[in-house]
Amino acid sequence: MTETDAYEHVTDDIEAVVEDTELPRRLKDRVYEVVEERGPISTERADEIARATESKYIDTRVDPLDPVGTVSAQSIGEPGTQMTMNTFHYAGVAEIDVTQGLPRLIELVDARKTPDTPMMTVYLDEEYASDRDRAHEVVWSIESTKILSLGDVSTNVADMLVQIDLNDETLLERWPTVGDVDEIAAAIAETIEDALGVSTHREGTLIEFGPSEPSYRQLLQLVEELRDVVFKGIEEVSRVVIRKESLDDGEEFVLYTEGSAFGDVIEIEGVDASRTTCNNIHEIYRNLGVEAAREAIINETMDTLEEQGLDDVNVRHLMLVADIMTNRGTIESIGRHGISGSKESVLARAAFEVTVNHLLDAAIHGERDKLDGVIENVIVGKPVAIGTGDVDLRMGSFSPDMGQPSDD
Amino acid sequence: MVDVSQHKLVPEHTVLDDPDRVDEVLSEYNVSKTNLPKITVSDPALPDKAEPGDVIEITRDSRTTDRATVYRLVVE
Repeated sequence: MTETDAYEHVTDDIEAVVEDTELPRRLKDRVYEVVEERGPISTERADEIARATESKYIDTRVDPLDPVGTVSAQSIGEPGTQMTMNTFHYAGVAEIDVTQGLPRLIELVDARKTPDTPMMTVYLDEEYASDRDRAHEVVWSIESTKILSLGDVSTNVADMLVQIDLNDETLLERWPTVGDVDEIAAAIAETIEDALGVSTHREGTLIEFGPSEPSYRQLLQLVEELRDVVFKGIEEVSRVVIRKESLDDGEEFVLYTEGSAFGDVIEIEGVDASRTTCNNIHEIYRNLGVEAAREAIINETMDTLEEQGLDDVNVRHLMLVADIMTNRGTIESIGRHGISGSKESVLARAAFEVTVNHLLDAAIHGERDKLDGVIENVIVGKPVAIGTGDVDLRMGSFSPDMGQPSDD
Repeated sequence: MVDVSQHKLVPEHTVLDDPDRVDEVLSEYNVSKTNLPKITVSDPALPDKAEPGDVIEITRDSRTTDRATVYRLVVE
């Protein structure tokens, strides 16, 4: 009886009455709020309110045999027609491009392996989240650092050498934990040797190397390859934006990344592995499992719709979509390669996409259609097994010696 | 290694190791084990001791009620 202590007018009797109903927690709390607003009321009155709410609630529940899938499809489909077709938008976070609107929704239900614009929202552990310098430490271990951001690269054609002049300040900034320029430069030289298979010559922050045989083409190729070498951070992440955000418990630094590598990022020190997320549902699935993927699908579809001002689509429809997509323990797409394509009925599959192929294959393999589902019965013109179509009416007969059936 | 179960997207997974509880669940929904939604053995959120054929009870923080309990069958 602790939950209602906050309410002055909710007595133990009233609580007992309300808790006795079939209402979910959310609605029980609303009932308490109403009782509180009205001031002291009798238990009978509270009971009336609770009962009325309960009957309304039970009334609005889905009836058995209701075609929920069809209703969901229409409830998402209609608002979908109002979504924008243009893909790019700087949404929510400054400077980071995110695919939005219809293309994003399609991408989600198609369960694409990689989204058009992968991104992560990285939350930090307490000590890192409050301190800009510590937060930057994490930024540098996530953002991929390439040679062009570390110093100047020039080609010396006369001596057939690539020369790199590293910038001291940048080095110290990007390797905040080392603190010794020489050591960092040595590590960079080593990375170059490993990646390009050349031997380097280093003096302080000057690094020189060249092709094994003097060749102009090879020299240029080395420079090209050098540009792609990742010296620090995660290759997939091209950019990180750091932002100060005010959350419920004060302000904290949150990182937004362009590109995603969820599995790698949650292992990094300073990253809060309990809140960090990404917009690639497959990465969520691989690292956190189906249930998390289901949540991610719901969140992502909901955010996409909300962003377009279509937030009146009930979550239940999106939950149904996510449930179906994760039903077999992996992520399946909705379309012809996923759920719709794995339907048992030939006619249902043929009705969806590539009609001729399905019918032809079915004919070759001698498939049978049990006509259990909705679509196949619509096609053959029989009542569908949904709603009243699935209920049989039985009539009783009475023999005279068992008495007459009553008039009503 | 990161403890996956601590992530806010991951609901609580528990193995139903009491056969009576499994029967209770199946009779409540009037389904056979294979009708349940599935979860793969390799799923990172699965408790270590789970094996194919086990039924997992998942307690989600639901958007529509307080807590929602669902069941998944562990498959290869």
